[in-house]
Amino acid sequence: MKDDTLQTQTQSLVQELRRGVIVLAVLSQLHGEQYGYSLMKVLEDQGMQIDQGTLYPLLRRLEEQELLESDWRMETSRPRRYYVLSKFGEKVLHEMTTEWSRIKTTVDELLANEKENENETH
Amino acid sequence: MKLIELYLEEIRHQLPPRNRDDILREIRSTLMDMVEDRNPNPGESPDEAIVKAVLKDFGPPREVASQYGPQNYLVGPRMFPIYIKVLRIVLIVIAALNILGLIVAIVSRSGYDAGLLDAILQVVGGLFGSLFTAFGIVTLSFAAIERTTPEDWKVKVDQAWQPEDLLKQEDKERVKIAEMAIEIILSLVFIALMNFFLDRIGIYYLGETGWVSAPLLNENFLRYIPWITAYSILDIALDLYLIRMGFWNKYATIAKLLINAFKIAVTFVIITGPAIITIDATAWQTLNLGLDSTPQTLSNLLNTILDVLMGLSIFGLVVDSIKRLYIEFIKGSHASIEFDAK
Repeated sequence: MKDDTLQTQTQSLVQELRRGVIVLAVLSQLHGEQYGYSLMKVLEDQGMQIDQGTLYPLLRRLEEQELLESDWRMETSRPRRYYVLSKFGEKVLHEMTTEWSRIKTTVDELLANEKENENETH
Repeated sequence: MKLIELYLEEIRHQLPPRNRDDILREIRSTLMDMVEDRNPNPGESPDEAIVKAVLKDFGPPREVASQYGPQNYLVGPRMFPIYIKVLRIVLIVIAALNILGLIVAIVSRSGYDAGLLDAILQVVGGLFGSLFTAFGIVTLSFAAIERTTPEDWKVKVDQAWQPEDLLKQEDKERVKIAEMAIEIILSLVFIALMNFFLDRIGIYYLGETGWVSAPLLNENFLRYIPWITAYSILDIALDLYLIRMGFWNKYATIAKLLINAFKIAVTFVIITGPAIITIDATAWQTLNLGLDSTPQTLSNLLNTILDVLMGLSIFGLVVDSIKRLYIEFIKGSHASIEFDAK
């Protein structure tokens, strides 16, 4: 019972954590052109699971914010919408990457301190 | 593939019209990709089980559609607390009025020939009727504000907020929401009365065919109705604005002063214009109160009384305007000087 609540709690918190980095993950994979499904596959292959219902609307939003460019292309049997970083998007991604390393370092240090404390008390 | 088309159709109904076709096109393309990816025999038409699994993974149409486009609210989260507050006040006021009506009915025993139980049932029924009407009006008003307020204006209000505002507000008059809500309801009732039920304001007498009402206000009054309606609507708009802001500010005060000036002008025109009350001769005869006066003299008397009352209301409006001016510009500025000195 206790384990169950622990797990569901953790799961929802992890999901929240993930939601924060989705944009960064998506932008990072769009230096080259990708269509929705291929992008999802690429992310998935590298261990970044994204809910489909989140990904496609997100791509549209990012395009509206002019971080991405897109166009429909007729390839093989059906048209696909290809997305790629815009010039502006590249700059934003660059800024976000710097910010992300800062956050990562800070949080890593915080967690390291935490570990030391834990070791001392035990 | 029929399932996919049905699925897309289902989503279509729930998408915002903007970009609808484009969004659907992209979802279709993605679904096809997924099906193709999972099809063990590429080139052959896929198993229905695969299509079903893909759709299941993609999610319920409602959920998919809801991810696109902004949330649409009838009354948004920003205004919701105020909305609930106003509804609560309306509930209390209407319940109180109905109970008052019940007490009057029981005491006077008029209009209720049947027993007490019937009277109570009638009041409860009336309560529900008026509650639904009032809730409807309140909801529509809030929905109208929600629709007409631009999104960036809402953000600007938040951004413009400064901690110093707390000190300024200390000296300002906090808007009493209950007062505003009652004023709104009364204004709405007044507007309805003026525009739709004017003939109900009259002398009621038992004619040959039952109760008849002879309107008191004559055709001279009709031409004022648009103006009276206009200032009532302005009153409501200002009240809603005040409820939103929570405090009186410079703009609200100026608006109030303008509305008061408008009211004074209309009232003045009515006073100086032709008489607006006429007592119907037939009604007066049938009523036969045994008073020693003709309908004509009584009409004159009533018109004079009304003129006096309207004169008093002009006086009241002037006093109210001065009070508002004082609170906003004199008392307020004094307080801010004090604050600066500290």
